[in-house]
Amino acid sequence: MQQQTHEYDVVIVGSGIGGSIVAKTLTQAGKKVLLLEAGLEAGIDFQKKEAFNNYMGYLDKFYQTAAKVPNSPYPNLKDAPSPDVIDIEAIEPCKPATNGYLVQAGPIPFGSDAWRGPGGTTMHWLGSTPRMLPNDFKMKSLYDVGVDWPFDYDALKPYYEMAEFEIGVAGNVDEQKGPDVSKDKNYGKDYHFPMKKIPQSYLDEKVIEKFPKGFKVHFNGKAHDLEFVSTPQGRNSIPNPEYPYSDVVWNEDKHKLELQSDKRWNTFTKGYEAVPDQQTTKYTPVGAVWDDHQGHRCEGNASCVPICPVQAKYNALKTLRKSDPKLITTQTQAVASKVLTDESSGDVIGIEYKKYEDPNSSVFETHIAKGKVYVLAANAIENAKILLASGIANSSDQVGRNLMDHMVMLTWGLLPEKGFPYRGPGSTTNIPTMRDGDFRKEHAACISPIDNWGWGWPKFSPGSDVENAVAAGMFGRELKYHINDVVPRQLLLHFECEQTPEPNNRVTIDPNYLDNLGNYRPVIHYSASDYMKKAFAEYKKVSDQIFEAAGVEDFTEYTTSHPDYAEYEGKVYNFWGAGHIVGTHRMGTDKEESVVNENGQTWDHQNLYLVGCGNMPTLGTSNPTLTMSALAFKTSEAILNQLKD
Amino acid sequence: MSKHTPKELDLFLNISSHLTGFKTISLLGTGMTETYFNTITAHVNPNTVALFYEACAEILALDGDNAIKDAIKNELIPDGNYAGLGKKIILMWYLGNWDNDVISAQAYTQGLVWDAAETHPPGAKQPGYDSWRERPIKVNC
Repeated sequence: MQQQTHEYDVVIVGSGIGGSIVAKTLTQAGKKVLLLEAGLEAGIDFQKKEAFNNYMGYLDKFYQTAAKVPNSPYPNLKDAPSPDVIDIEAIEPCKPATNGYLVQAGPIPFGSDAWRGPGGTTMHWLGSTPRMLPNDFKMKSLYDVGVDWPFDYDALKPYYEMAEFEIGVAGNVDEQKGPDVSKDKNYGKDYHFPMKKIPQSYLDEKVIEKFPKGFKVHFNGKAHDLEFVSTPQGRNSIPNPEYPYSDVVWNEDKHKLELQSDKRWNTFTKGYEAVPDQQTTKYTPVGAVWDDHQGHRCEGNASCVPICPVQAKYNALKTLRKSDPKLITTQTQAVASKVLTDESSGDVIGIEYKKYEDPNSSVFETHIAKGKVYVLAANAIENAKILLASGIANSSDQVGRNLMDHMVMLTWGLLPEKGFPYRGPGSTTNIPTMRDGDFRKEHAACISPIDNWGWGWPKFSPGSDVENAVAAGMFGRELKYHINDVVPRQLLLHFECEQTPEPNNRVTIDPNYLDNLGNYRPVIHYSASDYMKKAFAEYKKVSDQIFEAAGVEDFTEYTTSHPDYAEYEGKVYNFWGAGHIVGTHRMGTDKEESVVNENGQTWDHQNLYLVGCGNMPTLGTSNPTLTMSALAFKTSEAILNQLKD
Repeated sequence: MSKHTPKELDLFLNISSHLTGFKTISLLGTGMTETYFNTITAHVNPNTVALFYEACAEILALDGDNAIKDAIKNELIPDGNYAGLGKKIILMWYLGNWDNDVISAQAYTQGLVWDAAETHPPGAKQPGYDSWRERPIKVNC
């Protein structure tokens, strides 16, 4: 075993958005950082040619893979395997499904994936960045469900603004509405997003125009106003001249991170520079990592998941590249396996990692990384797994528990006229109607995006439409006209239901299940509660009302052969994972019931912080990346303050 | 006189037009004709391929589109005839796949399904910022 002789201020595990925000913020504030990344060296090379060639390799793999699932462009390594939706299978009673990386103990399979490699899962995220609602932070007090967060919405608001700067959110604040949303309360009356909204699709317009203002949908015994809003998203559009900020900077005198307008980090000169007065927009879109002149606008590739060919969509490499190169050391092909602690003080004294040369060989060297402060930012499943493998941070017995995801019930049908899907970003409009209300006492809330990509998700359209038509004997012009009639009329709605924290939905480890390097494979225990099933039943009725009013012919079909199905009051529903892996090391005010405090610092180890969606006590109805990024800034600030002492 | 060598390449192109519903000029425009022709040669028993092209020659010599259409339906579409080549050729042109494998990156991006669906292959031939707010510029039907 090799001891690292060099001591860093901070050791970070993981180069996804959480780890990258911490690395960038700390190095720009003058701290020395060691970043450990399990994936391949090539993915983190920021030299122009190498970065371009590597990324084009991802794109080529995407083109050449038949099942274009979220992980399809990216290497899946035996030494650092990734959970993949393609591995999901039905689970037989009392017999875990062991296909792929995750060991699925059930009773139903966890439906989401992640990527373990440079940039993490932001490489294939969709990019939707709605904020959570104020009421999401007090589910226990308001609705007697789950737990409250250790702070309220207002406490997170300044960090939300930092996250929106960092990700580069395009959106229209004035258009944000729905239950528990008002511009003043949620954003402040003068707030703007860094870039103007991504245009809503033609398809969105065709759907929205079918509903007169005041149209109501009925669920949970009440009528609710059906509304449509443009979705804020981390995707480059036109910079907003009214957005005042140029960077997030550490203010040592005030002990705070601040958004400010005078200076900004220059990635090329690797230092701060003044923002010229004559510059009309303070915000500049961040382009591709290989060439900052590419990707300043979304170009409509319609492949955001799994890969944006021009990097107009945000990914964490853009943030990581802003780290001060003089102060960051990156170790790739370095898989963190264990956190070492001092038995008497409880302080972390090192992180053991396995360094491999060949990603498919079981040969590795063990090293120990040393710092003053340690940060695990390896995603919610991996963070929990590493903590469990180390036997630490778990005096609350909450590590690994409360695993959550948005359970996405999909509904699909054919519009009466063409909406021309399979164009533009994956979703540009959402229905906020079911995001909050008294009904949350009885069933889950949801956000309901309109999908711009037809029936691709549930039915593998349009490939399956061609295959089915050909199998039925269609050919020639009849086939062409059939595809031309059907595919452009496809409509898909999501009902992304907020899963509540359940102690038995959890990540565990088992010495019978190890990977190629002898690290634990996560064992996942997962189920859908009645609170979720009732939501499926209510929202299927909402979908029926929407389809009927819009003249949409319903083709939704739920079966018991779909691995994630639930039965409720005699009916079967199918759902899919949203890729929102949340809640395995939640924060709280009570060390008996939570793993970390409000800053992500573990209760049990003063120099160990956890970053990522695992910290979230409840999920809300927002895509979680924005919220976890806000939390990562909050944690960065806390670490900078701890390092001052 | 044959435009291409071997002469089967012409037969392949012309029968592909009838099978897919796309004009030969559109098929040639994909740049995939030779690749797909060679894919068949590489994967299917030569005797079967020879018999298939003989059948194609006879069908293409028929008088009128309806006669050709009927003959294709009876001769080339049934799964048991010529190793299912009729359907496989359609799927190759529409999806860029042979069986369940993508033939090449170009085969994916040149799939006819995207044209038929009035869009572009995801991740390629991007139509540009704001394009999705309008109807597609190119409308086929």
